[in-house]
Amino acid sequence: MSGEAAPQTILLWDLPTRLVHWLIALLVPFSWWSATHEHLPWHRLSGYTILALLIFRLIWGFVGGGGARFSTFLRGPGAVIAYVRRRGAAFLSHNPLGGWSVAAMLAALTLQVSLGLFSVDEDGLEAGPLSKFVSFDVGRSIARIHHLTFWLLLALIALHLGAVAFYELRGSRLTLPMVTGRAARAAGLAEPRRAPLIAFLLAAAAAAAIAWFIAQGLGLRAGALS
Amino acid sequence: MSRLKLRAGAVGMTAALLAGGALAAGLSGAEAVKLRQTNMKALGAASKAFFEQIRSGAPDKGVVKVQADKIEAAAKALPTWFPSGSGPEAGAKTGALPIIWAQPDAFAAAGRRLADQAAKLDAAGDAGDLAAVAAQAPALGAACKGCHDKFRAPEK
Repeated sequence: MSGEAAPQTILLWDLPTRLVHWLIALLVPFSWWSATHEHLPWHRLSGYTILALLIFRLIWGFVGGGGARFSTFLRGPGAVIAYVRRRGAAFLSHNPLGGWSVAAMLAALTLQVSLGLFSVDEDGLEAGPLSKFVSFDVGRSIARIHHLTFWLLLALIALHLGAVAFYELRGSRLTLPMVTGRAARAAGLAEPRRAPLIAFLLAAAAAAAIAWFIAQGLGLRAGALS
Repeated sequence: MSRLKLRAGAVGMTAALLAGGALAAGLSGAEAVKLRQTNMKALGAASKAFFEQIRSGAPDKGVVKVQADKIEAAAKALPTWFPSGSGPEAGAKTGALPIIWAQPDAFAAAGRRLADQAAKLDAAGDAGDLAAVAAQAPALGAACKGCHDKFRAPEK
């Protein structure tokens, strides 16, 4: 690399952000598969892992690398409308429309996992760790909503994949940067600031601890994870 | 939950079970479906409360005993919840499949298996042997599921 020239690419998505993305992309199909094949211990474990990833992503949205921060990609309705009217402006992270689609997916995932925590199966044999706070009937109703909201999640995932395909076909690279983290440097945009390792360690520890506590049924006793 | 409340729940459940036993006498098919569903829901609630204890890793002896009692009583009465005429032809929405009445021997065998497993569970619960209860729990779940997989329509 010559001394003067700025690098052609920037680190857009830091490693934690990419890991969260791809782990969720793997665990959502696995959750569906384990539920339909009645491997409920696996289904619960997958749900707890997604819960931890969501909590981490929420924290990372405030303290993570520049590309992952909510303040970078969540903009007001004016910016969204302006973007929809005439695309073309360069954005460091998600464009104003894509940012809200990410927020919608994170919200739908949070709803899906939260409902699962309270769900009870038809026979009272399998249940989420917080179902002890609701009756059998309420747990059953929540399980039915858990099934319905999965379709909402699927719709948002379909929209996400469709949008990625749309931009890829128009020549914008979206998929590769989510793998390597690096994206072409757009004119006039600085490299996003990187989060320090300590921020990652603290966020990961907090997310794991909170998810563990919830998975235990809001208890501190070990051994209830199954 | 207080011991008294649990006792009251058990009494209510027993009353429902007795009603289940009296089904053959004079209930319409649709009424029999409704009563069966009420009984199954009560069994599901007992099952939920029981398996919650097992999953907690530190079950409460009192709760386990009471719920195992309920499960055992329901399992014993369960075959009487399926009088002829309470299948899909009853006109009430039911997941009970016609195969229940087409293969009465297989259905009775599944019922006996459930009753046997529930009796073992109850005995362990009465003895206050939590390790034996936990060891027996999967066999009970398998007896529930084994019957449902064959004789009940999948939900929705």
